[in-house]
Amino acid sequence: MIKSTNNKIAFAHLTSRLRQTMVATLSVTFGISMYIFMNGFMNGVNNITSDLSFSTLAHIRIYNDIPEDRSNLLKETANPNQVINIRSAKTIKYTEGIKNSAQIIDLLKKRQDITGVTQQVNINVFFRNGATQVNGLLSGIDVENENKLFKTSTYMTDGNWNDLNFRTDGAIIGSGLATKMSLKINDNLVVTTADGVTKSFKIIGIFNTTVAGVDNTKAYIRINTARQLLSENQSYVTDIQVNIADYNQARMVTKRIAPFVPYKVEPWQISNGQLEATSQLRDILAIAVSLTILIVAGFGIYNIMNMTVNEKIREIAILKAMGYASKDIVEIFLTQSIVIGIAGGMVGILLGFLISFGVNHVPFRIATLQTLPMTYYIKDYSLAFIFGLITTFVAGYLPARKASNIDPVTIIRG
Amino acid sequence: MNNNIALSVKNLTKYFYEPETFQVLKDISFDVHKGEFLSLIGKSGSGKSTMLYVLSSMDTDYEGSLEINNVLLTGKTQNELAAFRNANIGFVFQFHYLLPEFSSLDNVMLPALKLGRKSKEEIEYDAMENLNLLGLNDQALKSANKLSGGQQQRVAIARALINNPSIIMGDEPTGNLDSKNTKIVFDIFKQLAREKGQTIITVTHDDDFAANSDRIIELQDGELLK
Repeated sequence: MIKSTNNKIAFAHLTSRLRQTMVATLSVTFGISMYIFMNGFMNGVNNITSDLSFSTLAHIRIYNDIPEDRSNLLKETANPNQVINIRSAKTIKYTEGIKNSAQIIDLLKKRQDITGVTQQVNINVFFRNGATQVNGLLSGIDVENENKLFKTSTYMTDGNWNDLNFRTDGAIIGSGLATKMSLKINDNLVVTTADGVTKSFKIIGIFNTTVAGVDNTKAYIRINTARQLLSENQSYVTDIQVNIADYNQARMVTKRIAPFVPYKVEPWQISNGQLEATSQLRDILAIAVSLTILIVAGFGIYNIMNMTVNEKIREIAILKAMGYASKDIVEIFLTQSIVIGIAGGMVGILLGFLISFGVNHVPFRIATLQTLPMTYYIKDYSLAFIFGLITTFVAGYLPARKASNIDPVTIIRG
Repeated sequence: MNNNIALSVKNLTKYFYEPETFQVLKDISFDVHKGEFLSLIGKSGSGKSTMLYVLSSMDTDYEGSLEINNVLLTGKTQNELAAFRNANIGFVFQFHYLLPEFSSLDNVMLPALKLGRKSKEEIEYDAMENLNLLGLNDQALKSANKLSGGQQQRVAIARALINNPSIIMGDEPTGNLDSKNTKIVFDIFKQLAREKGQTIITVTHDDDFAANSDRIIELQDGELLK
């Protein structure tokens, strides 16, 4: 009985000043939709930036590094009072590349946390076209797996990535390299290795990653052709590139696989320290922005709710004078807060989605982007809704509780 | 324990602290009998309204003790006092203080709905009876803010009566009423005191109103005159 009376009073308050209720609801709506939009946008930008960073970089790289420096053979055994003089000490690399690649790749593919593995034979070469000569990197790759890891096919501006499978003498070159050497599709490209081996390739495709360092120097050929160029056997590779489910875990995964791999295992954070810094900074920025929105929106909601309660404070006093208990008063105002919170939250989710959707369709044709990036994570939407509810709850509860605990006369007297 | 005493105050002292400490009520003690119609009079600022609020238990910031129906109210919590007021005290403010969004009938029903001793239908019936008593039967379904000042004040009185409180207190309940309505209210109060033994305590500036009541207590500068 009393519950329905309280609800009736709450409902009367909500409907008697529709404008005020609307403003309160809108403030919740605004806070929630802004939170959703900003988070979606920040996450979208973050994801795109990581995608761009990892367009040519794998999460983990396995390669044959120069061995540890052991040139001072007497370091551990020597008497400190003796003078040692070793002349012309050198660290010598006895093997080039990775010999038993199939075994390592099998091992890696069995692991759950690894999502993609590809092998490469990378050779530093001179590219020639008549008189022009350019220093660059010839990358012998596994066509399918390379695309799986780096989505190389999405960067093709001319030709078809998969054609590389069918042309043993085919090469796909960077757009910058093509310009420098005045090359088009179907032209010939002559490659000279450090050992003096020369071979001619047919250009079957041109790619553009927008990373100038790559576009100006890189050419892809089939891995077996690259092995032939070096007179190496079928299991020879220079690099094994590994992608994992969450790139932030690269260090951990490295630690786990390193003991089983007799070569250097290097996570992206080590090879590209600056990327790690920017990645972390972006995460911090995202948290800062989302916290700021939460705080600003939270205060906005709190303010409006506080105002609503304060305008009704005289009625609180009257209700108390008639014998309504503190918990009735709190209940009346909490009911209002929750109704405002739920209504504002639902509209806010819808509005947030619409804003996100709209911004997601703003054209932005730079690099590989077509429109502004956006994410639609359920997590962001539900968090925003819960946050809106909690804020309105607190904002309704605190002033109502305060008002319900003072003498009614204190309010009536003013 | 005297069963004939409706309200008893002992050594009531109260201070105002804003803007500066000022003693409003000075060591006031008196008893009110059941069924008594008491008028509190005094000049503006004599402390009569302040005292009435203390008596009504809506002001707990005082020294001394307050007993109503032999229940010591001093020291009780806000919620206990609210429940006590709900069942035992009907209060009429100087201004009507109705909930403007509600109809007259709803306003009158509110205290009874809180008390919850009767069904909603019974409460509605009682509320209509009370409105009839005050000549407001045709205004029952109008929302409170559409009524005239006098009508609103009468609705507030009907609301104060709804739970059949043992004590009815009014802070100039007829202050906004014309002489005809004042007469109606006075007669109702008198009748309640006579027939139902309800105790009436009103602060008033109306000398006729006071003169016709059973007993007059006059305050001057926070002290009882008689």
